[in-house]
Amino acid sequence: MGKSPGVNVAPRMPSGSARRPGYSPNCVSGPPNGAPLPFAALYSAAMNEPLIALRNVRKTYRSPAGDFAALDDIDLTAHAGEFLAITGRSGSGKSTLLNLLAGIDRPSAGEIVVGGKSLASLDEGALAGWRGESVGIVFQFFQLLPTLTAAENVMLPMDFARKWDSRERRGRAVALLARLGLDGHADKLPAALSGGQQQRVAVARALANEPPLVLADEPTGNLDSQSSDELLDLLTGLASEGRTIVMATHEPTAIEHATRIVTLADGRIADVHG
Amino acid sequence: MVSPRWRKVMRDATLHKARTALVVAALVIGLVGSGALLDTWSLIRRVTIETYVASHPVSATLRLDRVDREVLERVRAMPGISAVRARRVVSASMSSASGELVAQLFVLDGYGARDIAAVEGVAGNWPPRDGEIAIERSSLDLSGAAVGESVSLRYAGGGSVPLPVTGIAHDVSLAPGWMEHVVYGFVTPATLLRLGVAPGLDEVQFVVGDPSLDREGVRHIANDVKLALERDGRKVLGVNVPVPMQHVHAAQMDSMMFTQGAFALLTLLACAAVVVNLVSAMLASELREIGVMKAIGARPGQVATMYLASIAAIGILATVLALPLAIAIGRRYAALKADLLNFPIEGFAIPWWAIAIQLAAGVVVPVAAAAFGVARACRISVSEALRDPGIATTADDYRVRKRLRVPFLNRPFTLSVGNAFRRRRRMLLTLVALTLGGAVFVAADSLRQSVRDSVGIMVESQRYDLIVRTVEPQAAQRLEAAIGKVTGVVAVEAAIAANATPLASDGTFGSPFPIFGLLADTKRVVPKMLAGRWLDTAGEHSLIVNRALANEDPRLALGSEVTLLLGGKPSTWTVDGVVDVAAQPLAYARRDALGEARGDARATVAAVVLSQGEREKPLPAILRLRGDLDDAGMRVAATILSSENRRALEDHLLLVVDFLGVMGWVMIAVGGMGLASTMGISVLERTREIGVMRAIGAKTSAIVAIVQAEGLVIALLGWASAIVLSVPMSVALGRAFGAIMFPVPDRYVPTAAGTLEWLAVVAGVSIVACAWPALRATRIPTAAALSYA
Repeated sequence: MGKSPGVNVAPRMPSGSARRPGYSPNCVSGPPNGAPLPFAALYSAAMNEPLIALRNVRKTYRSPAGDFAALDDIDLTAHAGEFLAITGRSGSGKSTLLNLLAGIDRPSAGEIVVGGKSLASLDEGALAGWRGESVGIVFQFFQLLPTLTAAENVMLPMDFARKWDSRERRGRAVALLARLGLDGHADKLPAALSGGQQQRVAVARALANEPPLVLADEPTGNLDSQSSDELLDLLTGLASEGRTIVMATHEPTAIEHATRIVTLADGRIADVHG
Repeated sequence: MVSPRWRKVMRDATLHKARTALVVAALVIGLVGSGALLDTWSLIRRVTIETYVASHPVSATLRLDRVDREVLERVRAMPGISAVRARRVVSASMSSASGELVAQLFVLDGYGARDIAAVEGVAGNWPPRDGEIAIERSSLDLSGAAVGESVSLRYAGGGSVPLPVTGIAHDVSLAPGWMEHVVYGFVTPATLLRLGVAPGLDEVQFVVGDPSLDREGVRHIANDVKLALERDGRKVLGVNVPVPMQHVHAAQMDSMMFTQGAFALLTLLACAAVVVNLVSAMLASELREIGVMKAIGARPGQVATMYLASIAAIGILATVLALPLAIAIGRRYAALKADLLNFPIEGFAIPWWAIAIQLAAGVVVPVAAAAFGVARACRISVSEALRDPGIATTADDYRVRKRLRVPFLNRPFTLSVGNAFRRRRRMLLTLVALTLGGAVFVAADSLRQSVRDSVGIMVESQRYDLIVRTVEPQAAQRLEAAIGKVTGVVAVEAAIAANATPLASDGTFGSPFPIFGLLADTKRVVPKMLAGRWLDTAGEHSLIVNRALANEDPRLALGSEVTLLLGGKPSTWTVDGVVDVAAQPLAYARRDALGEARGDARATVAAVVLSQGEREKPLPAILRLRGDLDDAGMRVAATILSSENRRALEDHLLLVVDFLGVMGWVMIAVGGMGLASTMGISVLERTREIGVMRAIGAKTSAIVAIVQAEGLVIALLGWASAIVLSVPMSVALGRAFGAIMFPVPDRYVPTAAGTLEWLAVVAGVSIVACAWPALRATRIPTAAALSYA
């Protein structure tokens, strides 16, 4: 891909809602309410460039038995608004792929570009900053901080990214939680919430800084079927707002919500459907 | 509004109360120990500078046959001298409620002088009037008298003279009377006359105008004064130049503070080791949360700031708790030290800089101790942090366990031994604290034993019960015959006691020291030889010096030839031996040779051996001896019991050794906290493992045994390493102690009692430290443990 000056610029969000006409704490994202799409998503759509692009990516781990290739020869792109399901058996490389996309892990070979930014060019600190602004992550085990309330968990990424004025953060967090059906739960500790509620808090946290990319690793793995359905509807809605969703899962009901299904087997792409 | 990350920091601290409390407690102990020492030192420094220097200490003292106005005017007129006074010091016996004591009576020419070694009245009348006595504050308790009461003084063979105690004085230049076992009294010349002392003053003291002069500079001025007085036909019997502006006990005090300061730093180091352990445990338990925070956008610096700030806050809390304690202990300890120096510390505030250092240390020490662990935890990759499986068994661990497998040990115990080695860095840090504490504990015990041995050697060398000093010199044989006739006396040997001043080839002189002339085949002094020969095999003009004198004056090294000024006459001597006797510098020579050299072979002291029965209660024998000698025309100036001498010596030594023992206990407490925290973390990390053991049938007693045995393994390692470390530590301590206080032999093998005592202590500490972790391990529900992530 040719690099234009704009491509190498990280998809930055406006640094405060005051500079964003039409923003209100109750309208945190999504075109249905007239709020703007994330910049990277807009850019990706406008330029018809993929939001994420993996080229010849390989990831190997060292073990006493020799090098083990968790991913090999991966070429994959996804555009803004796409809902990608990464599926495959346990150990096929789904989580490794998500970790590489999030900049949590680095590839052994190949290149990963997200929002026009090559992740290889970022050091650990810069990667963390980029992740805070550009990627929302939903984990299988929720990974909420147990000593913080639901609202505080959602505020935490805003706190780290310093993207929003400190006086607006709580309002935004409460509004996000309300949008995800958690009215009245903002000041509860995670231990006081059900698994489905905790996962929705995790989604709210993933959306705190309005990232263009949301990565979800087995997000329904610890949920009952009703909570799973609600969560998948939520992710579908986010994709329809223009965000790119990449979800690792092996559950058939979850896969049905995706616009494209990528099947991994032994670290390689075995099939792409849709 | 507090941001979420700082709320997390605060809630984590309150959530893990026990862990936070342990960190705070470890820091408080370290800060109190080191802070108290710093406060003590800062107070003593202020007191010595402000009070001692303000008293205008004497620069030099010259002893003459007689000091009159003319002498004073002559000295005052000399260049470089700012103040002059005349003095007389007389030894007498004092009877009071405390019994028979040695008294040192001072007569000063002009008590009101403010420009030379000012003596202050602190209660009652000052200065004393004729027929009265004022007692120096440091010997008041020893005298057993109070203002308004009377003491009986007897000089030489004179009768008892009752004198009312009308005042209490303070002379900062004197070593404390309670420690020297001497009662200091201030009287007038007329009072001395009533006691039967010949009239007149015999010492001239002066202060140099330039306070920056060193000892050599003052010596030159003193030499000029001596020569000028001799040119005027005066006889100068001795010159004494102390180290300028330094209290008689200041060097001891500085060295003691230095040694103790080193131990305070060791305590702080042990505390830092405990903090490192606790912080790494905290970080280990939060690794997953660190991973999550980094995954949602926290930069390593932001995470590090959170943890370091929380540690700094704990440090501030610990400092706030430690500061008042350190100040209180520091003030009490300073008061004790000041008592050693004979200074009052009332009214002295801890200087601001000492408080500032403690505040800074309270924050810097824990933050510095935690910095490495925090940096490492914050550098961990997100994937690694999210994957963190807790404690893992590595191939190395297995190898250690296999190596440690002993046939008669059961599997749970083998497991405990292996567990102890699974987190080796943490175990090492725990060992640091335990080892340091144990080493100080065992080394203090060794030092105590060395001191006992040394005092024993000294007592062994002094084969007499009593020293008798006569007012006038007596023919040695006549004195021995008179004392030998006294009922209860088994043996006696007279000796010459004199002062010797070393003379250099350029005419300058060294510090005077006492020299004793003994029979060549003396049976009363049998010292331990350190080098060379004793009087019985040495030459006629042989000088035998003790270790303190050999250390003080390099001109008196073994084999050197030295010129001594004895009774104003120079004579040449060869240093033929070094002996291990007494803490203060002194020398021995053959009685006949010393007599010949000073032109006076008469003796002024006699070493007396009492019968077994008299030794128990010596007072009647002493009174008989005084009476009989008076009847024979030999007036007794003083009688000094060897047992009193020993007690005076022990009073000097006890404080230092006991302080080391206390420091050892403090450090063991810190080590115990380290062990408790290590075991607590170990149980937490192995929650799942304990759950598995429970699931396959491990009883409560087996779980407790595994935890306790693991603690005991670490404790035993601490025991062994402390024993090893205690050897160089006790040797170094003994040498430092010898340089400061009193020479003690090197001890390369700790005492059996000390070793066993340390074993009992460390085992007890281990059982107590592991009690809570073991209890917690037994309370882990199996199902919860198995689902622990």
